[in-house]
Amino acid sequence: MILSSMRSVVFGYGNEPVVENISLDIHAGEFLGITGPNGAAKSTILKLLLGLLKPWSGTVKINQAALDGGKLVVGYVPQQVASFNSGFPSKVIELVRSGCYSRLGLFRKFSKEQEAVVERSLKQVGMWEHRHARIGELSGGQKQRICIARALAQQPNVLILDEPTTGMDHQSRIGFYELMKHYVKEHHLTVVMVTHGLEEMDSYLDRVISLERKESEEWKCLTTSSCSVRFGPEVS
Amino acid sequence: MEMFDYEFMQRAFWAGGFIGIIAPILGVYLMLRRQALIADTLSHVSLAGVALGSVLHFNPVVSGFAVAIAGGLIIEQLRRTYLSYSEVPVAIIMTSGLALAVLLMSLKSNLNKSFSSYLFGSIVAVNSQQLWMIGIVAIIGLIFFIVFRRPLYSLTFDEETASIGGVHVRLLSFAFSVLTGMTVASAMPIVGVLLVSSLMVLPAALALKISRGFLSAIIIAVAAGLAGIFSGLSASYYINTPPGATISLILLVFFLAGLAAQRIILRSKRRKRFARSA
Repeated sequence: MILSSMRSVVFGYGNEPVVENISLDIHAGEFLGITGPNGAAKSTILKLLLGLLKPWSGTVKINQAALDGGKLVVGYVPQQVASFNSGFPSKVIELVRSGCYSRLGLFRKFSKEQEAVVERSLKQVGMWEHRHARIGELSGGQKQRICIARALAQQPNVLILDEPTTGMDHQSRIGFYELMKHYVKEHHLTVVMVTHGLEEMDSYLDRVISLERKESEEWKCLTTSSCSVRFGPEVS
Repeated sequence: MEMFDYEFMQRAFWAGGFIGIIAPILGVYLMLRRQALIADTLSHVSLAGVALGSVLHFNPVVSGFAVAIAGGLIIEQLRRTYLSYSEVPVAIIMTSGLALAVLLMSLKSNLNKSFSSYLFGSIVAVNSQQLWMIGIVAIIGLIFFIVFRRPLYSLTFDEETASIGGVHVRLLSFAFSVLTGMTVASAMPIVGVLLVSSLMVLPAALALKISRGFLSAIIIAVAAGLAGIFSGLSASYYINTPPGATISLILLVFFLAGLAAQRIILRSKRRKRFARSA
């Protein structure tokens, strides 16, 4: 079932469009990879999908029927999250618990289940031992992991990750791909992930959207025809 | 204690208590949002509002209050235009506010004296209207920070992720700016421009340096702010020094002492670790 669809979207910064007439669908419960060279507007597409950017023209729609009547909860791990404000005075556990705030609202107390989700998320990314550390004391890869744990603690329907394995070693990356695959299979989570490391995660993905720059126009890309798709249904 | 026999000292302690709670909390958020100089800026903007009120024969306290809030909202709007340079709107509004204040002051020659009291304030000359005002603002501020503690945490950590997580980033940021304007405008006539800034910046700077968690940062900032104000007021009473400057210097001493203590503790921890591994 289609969860989100983008139709004939045009978007740019300044006067120049960087995304031209792109249409694509995201299916509920799939592990989708978006890849392409630097400047291919991968992050821009994610932000358009999230509604953080408004398209110049075209539409981005969420199919509420795919959510079984529930509210859409999106977990998001932005690019270069590891470079976040190191002076931010927060313990790891405080930050990960803040992932539950969107479900808790202003006043509801943390339930035992939510505490368990926080603990599970931290354990799954291998950061439970560091839960009382100040986030500024962590390495880049560790910061990346706690932001992923925070996104998982949200218990999202869709997890959108912008180059999430930056700063992780090989073993951690493989563990991360397996974790995402587990969430897709067991929890029917939809995962959309921008990545450069396609070779090592080919076998984990259900579908890949590969963005290429137009050959004639350097740093400008994204007509529908320039998107190639592997392992699955075509970019519509 | 002898000093509490005087009503003006009682009022000073009450006013100091209110400001000492709300200003450091605001300061923690402002520093994390890279807007540490906003208090200084809004003080100047508020001064322009006071001058405007005097020139237009309008209640200067109300006009100072309204213009400070408007200044906070304009800074927030400009911050969205200069996302990567959040200090730019602060600089623009600070210079504009000061220029407007000077211009308006020149239109009324007898205003200079009352302006100096706004610039330097006098916490020991607080009247009951000012005390009520800061009391109400402090209570509104505390309610705001308690009710919105969760979205404010998310917003301060990362606006983009907060927005996707369902936080009304724009609305909350504007409400925060209004509260900042209200606090500065109501605290400035009591403690002056100098102390408003130091009460927001110094306790927060100390707390951000030594605390391990977010809640502990807020608690440390408030504790340092209150301790600075109460000890500064007491010291100024007994040694007969200007209260605003005394409080500011005591806060600075707290800040430096906190940094030194943190270094000593870190060094001794490192030594212990080396000794254990050797």
